[in-house]
Amino acid sequence: MTTAARTRAFIIAGLLPALILYLLFVVVPVFWSSYYGFFSWKGIGEMKFIGLDNYTEVLKDEIFWKSFVNNLYIVAYSVFGQVPIALLLAIVLARNSWYQRFLRASIFMPMVLSSVVIGLIWGYIYHPQIGILNFLLDSLGLSSWKLGWLSDPKVAMYSIGPPIIWANIGPYLILFIAALQNIPGEMDDAAQIDGATGLRKLFQITLPMIWGTIKVAIILCISGSLKAFDLIFIMTRGGPANSTELLATYMYNNTFNIFRYGYGSAVSTSIVIISLLLIAGSQFLMNRNKNVA
Amino acid sequence: MIMSRKWIQALVFLMILTTVLAGCGGGSTPKENTDNASSGKEQPAEKVKLSLWHNFTGEDLRAKAMRGIIEQFQNDHENIQLEIQAIPPDGYRQRLKTVAAANELPDVFIMHPGTIAKEFSSAGVIQPLDDLLNKHADWKDGYLPNSFDDFTFDGKIYSAPMSLSPTSILYYNKKILADNGLSVPTTWEELLHAVEVLNSKNIIPIALGNKAPWLAQSSILSSLADRVTGTEWFNKAVLQDGAKFTDPEFVEALSYMQELAMVGAFQEGFNAIDTTQMEQLYAQGKAAMMIEGGWAVTNLVASASEDILANTGVAILPSIPNGKGDPNTVSGAIGVGPAMSSKVEGAKKEAAEQLVLALAGPEAQKITLEANQLISFKAELDKSKVNPLFADLYELVNKVGRTPVYDARLTSQATEAVNNGLQELLLGAKPEDVAKKIQDAQEQGLKE
Repeated sequence: MTTAARTRAFIIAGLLPALILYLLFVVVPVFWSSYYGFFSWKGIGEMKFIGLDNYTEVLKDEIFWKSFVNNLYIVAYSVFGQVPIALLLAIVLARNSWYQRFLRASIFMPMVLSSVVIGLIWGYIYHPQIGILNFLLDSLGLSSWKLGWLSDPKVAMYSIGPPIIWANIGPYLILFIAALQNIPGEMDDAAQIDGATGLRKLFQITLPMIWGTIKVAIILCISGSLKAFDLIFIMTRGGPANSTELLATYMYNNTFNIFRYGYGSAVSTSIVIISLLLIAGSQFLMNRNKNVA
Repeated sequence: MIMSRKWIQALVFLMILTTVLAGCGGGSTPKENTDNASSGKEQPAEKVKLSLWHNFTGEDLRAKAMRGIIEQFQNDHENIQLEIQAIPPDGYRQRLKTVAAANELPDVFIMHPGTIAKEFSSAGVIQPLDDLLNKHADWKDGYLPNSFDDFTFDGKIYSAPMSLSPTSILYYNKKILADNGLSVPTTWEELLHAVEVLNSKNIIPIALGNKAPWLAQSSILSSLADRVTGTEWFNKAVLQDGAKFTDPEFVEALSYMQELAMVGAFQEGFNAIDTTQMEQLYAQGKAAMMIEGGWAVTNLVASASEDILANTGVAILPSIPNGKGDPNTVSGAIGVGPAMSSKVEGAKKEAAEQLVLALAGPEAQKITLEANQLISFKAELDKSKVNPLFADLYELVNKVGRTPVYDARLTSQATEAVNNGLQELLLGAKPEDVAKKIQDAQEQGLKE
């Protein structure tokens, strides 16, 4: 055996246990759950085979599609909110002076808070009677702008945006700062000599250099947004009247509140399929863009 | 080479993911071994082991009293060793469901009446308590009428209720009402008038926190709709036997419910605040009234100022003009009761029966009542031992009849439909549409 082959064999042997665990506890359950989707089942008692009924019901279910659209909102908040803001902050805060480090720490702080805490904090910010937001609007003389932030179905889904963006900027900021600091200093010097400064340098040197990281961030954003659950669950429980229902909260409700395990499984299988499609689609789009560029 | 690097990258990614996931799942390793070791020394043989699950984890009087009973039982029975798991109420049902699915229910556990008990009994994972109840006639006969209904399936009784929860009590602030020339509303007219007067004075008429959307259903609609439709209609509609939720009387009930929101009976944003925040609004004197279950008494005693507490009265919801139901009633459900796994037998069963009796028997009922918790068992209340507000509640509930609570009778699907439907309704959806959704859900729920 050559050294290279031996190293590779060693690496594979080392990874094998984890791979087996992963297959057993992640991949197999996914298929298992799609199998449960063919049954009418309450979690206990008899399972009744009903063919594709659950899946056709999912496709016809208004609330499922509403949840899907709401999930797309969350994807939009992350991709067009978190990523650009984190990138901007990273560019501004890339250097290592004390106040930049302080700002970075404060922006990262929500990450160490549990989402329950974040949900409660924002619940109080939006509180209809004692909320800071309405209080601020009042004291600025903008009482007419006051809204039922989380209680009005037309507004609630928009109110969810700021907390989600605020809470999740931290990791992307770190990711981008690391990428920025990895750009070799020679590039900067060369750009300077060539007379590229300011915006031009940003668009022609910096961004192309960290494009790979941005792509990773966007994929993470999309996959993270599709499984969003905790903040919404704490802040609105999917209400009022399903207006902030997400795929994950809808699946949870069906499975663990209504005890329709079969239908819940069908919903979760649909989530897997939708997620795969979205991620494949976004990857395709981004790779094509790069080839064009 | 490029290909193989990709493979290795993929493997590394999988490995990281697995470690993360493995970290999540590590919480629940069994602890039985330690118990074996410690119990082996004192009494080598004949010690019966019983597992017990309960949800009395809080710091309220009742939970403390229940834990006291369990502790007492442990001290009194040296030959029985309890393995106790206390699980916070929020996740309790889910935990039970999960272990029931694996047929690994604890020997004795606290079970909710209604739907979950029905599912457990039809799946054969719990056993009836008829023999035990018949052996102790004073216990069985001490219960108020209909107490066993929600634990009885196919003619067998599977548990004995440990408490009673009226779900629809109107708490009112006597001082605020009197200051505005109002009295406790006993008719719909009076209620609407009170709402108008209070709103003109910038006082919240009725505090409502419907973020967890069961409250409007359990505490308001259950009583209100019964006043309009009568209990008989509801019982028929539940079975879908000669009545439907699209019937005009139910639509009318929903319209009354909606009217409350439209005339501004509730504060703004009621769908965004939870029951605790609702109780705060009342306890801080910002709202003149609040509609919640009997359980709110304990919370008010803990959080309201003495002034507010002394001025708080309890009443039932007002009557509805031309309603078919008896207005002198309150919707209420029996509370949890101890259940026995179907796997318990022999000496273990004897021990389990003793435990069930200790948890729900006449002694325990009395202790429960003195811990400011209503019971569906005939017992005299020593008023010096409880809070005055609780004594008022006890008197009120004993004076009026009891009607069913919606979520205790409806299928889980229909309950969900009512809960979400009421949120829509209170925001202005058409009562007919909401009624249709509820009807569809109940129909579908019965089929499954």
